[in-house]
Amino acid sequence: MADTVGFVIYTLCFLFAAAMLTKRQMHMFQLNMYNMASHIGWIRRDRKGLLHSLPALLAAVLALVPGAGYFSAALLAVTALLSIEGRAKKPLVVTKRVLRMFVTLAILYALFVALAAALEGARRYFCAAFALVVFLNPLTVLLANILMKPVESSINRGFIRDAERIISGMPRLTVIGVTGSYGKTSVKFYIGKLLSAKYNVLVTPESYNTTLGVVRTIREHLRPTHEVFVCEMGAKGVGEIKEICDIVKPKMGIITSIGPQHLETFGSIENIINTKFELEESLPEDGIIFLNTDNEYIAGRQVKARRVSYGCESEADYRARDIKVSEHGSEFKLTGKDGVEYTFVTKLIGRHNVQNIAGAIAVADTLGVPMEDIVTQVRRLESVPHRLQLINKGRDVIIDDAFNSNPSGAKAALSVLGEFSGFKVLVTPGMIELGEKQYELNYEFGRQASMVCDFVALVGERQTKPIYEGLISAGYDKSKIFVGATIQAALAAVEALQTNERKVILLENDLPDNY
Amino acid sequence: MKIKVGVLFGGKSVEHEVSVITAIQAINAFDKEKYEVVPIYMTREGDFYCGPDIGKIESYREIKALISRSVRVLPVGEKGRMKLLRQPPKMFGNNVYDIIDVAFPAVHGTNVEDGALQGYLQTLGVPYVGCDVLSSALGMDKYAMKAVLKDNGIPVLPCVRFDVKRWSRKRDEVVEELEGKLRYPVIVKPVNLGSSIGIKIARDREGLIEAVDYAFNYASFAIAENAIVKLREINCSVLGDYETAEASECEEPINTDEILSYEDKYGGGDGKSGGGKGMSGLKRLLPAPISPELREEVRTLAIKTFKALGASGVARIDFLLDTDEMKLYVNEINTIPGSLAFYLWEPVGVKYPELLDRLVSLALKRERENSAISYSFETNILANFRGGLKGGKR
Repeated sequence: MADTVGFVIYTLCFLFAAAMLTKRQMHMFQLNMYNMASHIGWIRRDRKGLLHSLPALLAAVLALVPGAGYFSAALLAVTALLSIEGRAKKPLVVTKRVLRMFVTLAILYALFVALAAALEGARRYFCAAFALVVFLNPLTVLLANILMKPVESSINRGFIRDAERIISGMPRLTVIGVTGSYGKTSVKFYIGKLLSAKYNVLVTPESYNTTLGVVRTIREHLRPTHEVFVCEMGAKGVGEIKEICDIVKPKMGIITSIGPQHLETFGSIENIINTKFELEESLPEDGIIFLNTDNEYIAGRQVKARRVSYGCESEADYRARDIKVSEHGSEFKLTGKDGVEYTFVTKLIGRHNVQNIAGAIAVADTLGVPMEDIVTQVRRLESVPHRLQLINKGRDVIIDDAFNSNPSGAKAALSVLGEFSGFKVLVTPGMIELGEKQYELNYEFGRQASMVCDFVALVGERQTKPIYEGLISAGYDKSKIFVGATIQAALAAVEALQTNERKVILLENDLPDNY
Repeated sequence: MKIKVGVLFGGKSVEHEVSVITAIQAINAFDKEKYEVVPIYMTREGDFYCGPDIGKIESYREIKALISRSVRVLPVGEKGRMKLLRQPPKMFGNNVYDIIDVAFPAVHGTNVEDGALQGYLQTLGVPYVGCDVLSSALGMDKYAMKAVLKDNGIPVLPCVRFDVKRWSRKRDEVVEELEGKLRYPVIVKPVNLGSSIGIKIARDREGLIEAVDYAFNYASFAIAENAIVKLREINCSVLGDYETAEASECEEPINTDEILSYEDKYGGGDGKSGGGKGMSGLKRLLPAPISPELREEVRTLAIKTFKALGASGVARIDFLLDTDEMKLYVNEINTIPGSLAFYLWEPVGVKYPELLDRLVSLALKRERENSAISYSFETNILANFRGGLKGGKR
């Protein structure tokens, strides 16, 4: 490869391959929340990526062989083409951070190429190095991340300080923290809707519940006209709730549930419990903590703050009674702090939604919203997208429960499915991030499904094996199970089923692109 | 973080100068701990100006000079707030003069108090204080207001409405109709002006023709109603919205002429203090010397009127008391009263800063309630569109 033309062609193929692979890596890194540990775990599992970059390894070897230069370049081009991503569920968002990383990598690559151009004699070795870099591409993104770390940290600290400044400039603002293993987003939206009957409320949008997500909400959406800020707080590890509380300084908090979500990053159930209760510990002396006492982990815990309980099963300050659930919605009775019993009607389906609404009612009643207005607002509650969301599709009905599944929610979703008349179908890729309990909980899910469903479509053979085995162990007919590689295949199989009655299709958990 | 309130005043109205007084009084009375006030002056040509001197009353002695040292701005709506952009834009640097959280119209008269400004603010998407488009319009048109109040069983004087074209083409016909339906003395008013402009009383046919011609100098539509001979006027203010409203103290304005004239209202107090106090400087009996029963009747009727028109914010309702028959009639509603009627609220314990605070809260409440309603549906009829534009709707 001593001639210039050849070198230029090689360099172009190298840069093409580097660009395509880097884009894919960056996309996955973003989906892994820019978390090094998560991303490394993903790299290990990424068999497709490994396969598609093998031509580059071969190219590295061939670059050293005289005369095989062009063939080697062609292999790099092939690698590039293999890595081009199709349409993604959640495509790469080119944020300022992503841009900074791309620029860093571009500079590194440019320096590398410049060096190769300068040292004419060693070009053959440089070409081999180029191909090797393509093969080891995942590491380059990690390298860029490490290099940018001080810059990112500094920028983030600036954002956090800005958010703290805004919060301290609004001393009259009532901040309510919402946390729990599941049900956070639903409860947050319900609280926001009920409080809006009386107050100007800001809630963290969509599922923003990380420190930086909360900081962004404060910097971009909080206005001096807001009176209440309902802040969803999520965590995958110990100390993450406290981190958010230190910034927003909540005056009240609600803990919706505790379960084995993210068990693999937390380590133990005890850690999960302690982390959720970091919210209660952050409250001031006159703070109030709202607790879902149906949940055994929550009910037993001692707290220092003023405690208001809610639930359906247990004795609680706000206990929902005479609960009726159907495919048309739910109805229940609840007594407010004025001692009067009210009947609540809602379009939302599912018994655990009644529990969530009871929590929201507890907060609204405590904050002085008149009960008649709360009743009106409950009637107007709409399902949160992808959380037991009812979608009518012609004759059939889809229950979209695609967001972050958890065993308790999955069980409840199945019982909701059972309330509907028609041909009941479950479509699921299984539940993830449950650590050591992942097999057991998915197996149990399979057993539960066998009692309700007329048909089950599983997405991802390896992943859904526990569910399959759970179904079989309960005596479920194999012909009623479909196993496919993608959600599209599963849905197509369901579509193709011939039934007399309408199909009621439960979409339980939909995995993101990095799974 | 303080709430930024943009106080808008001036405008293409005959009551332009009066609104300057109302606005600057309000600007000075805001609680500066909670609010940051941005005065925005609207010239007669419809341009908006901001600047450090815009909020000072002395500046308005020489308006041309004030304009030349102030910044012209263009209001633009953005995510529920009103951005004020410099006009013309600077070549370098930031062109955003300021960003307002809540707009506060402190304007009087046609073109500004009648819903035009309110509609503009609603289109920009910024919350604003006071009546919405409909109630502003109803409040400005004497005829429409009477129609709504009659439907709600609120006593108003019957009137006849007619336009200038009909008057000039079929004068005799109109005179006959008026004399047939009404009796002298008759009062003639332009249908949509405030502050007693264009109003005259007629005692005979000659006087009637003169009064109508006079009224048509100022508007294209006029109304005529029976003038009450033994008349006392009582005013009362109402604060609130469709849900909850309360009434202020009652006042009895003093006339120097038969009817409260523009001069009376704004010529200004006594010679010493000079003009420039607006409605608050007017001679008045406060509280009005009426019996407690009559006071309650006035206050109750005021609230009923306020709610019937769907009003919001602070309004002043002017009553006519026929002392011969001891009957009360609603004369008109001022949806943005002079000086925001603050002097009627102090006697009942609501100080001006608190009045302003409540007005801002009411504006935010309406915004909150309106945004809970979905105004657009998820269907995109254009996505499946085939064929021509005709026959799209069934």
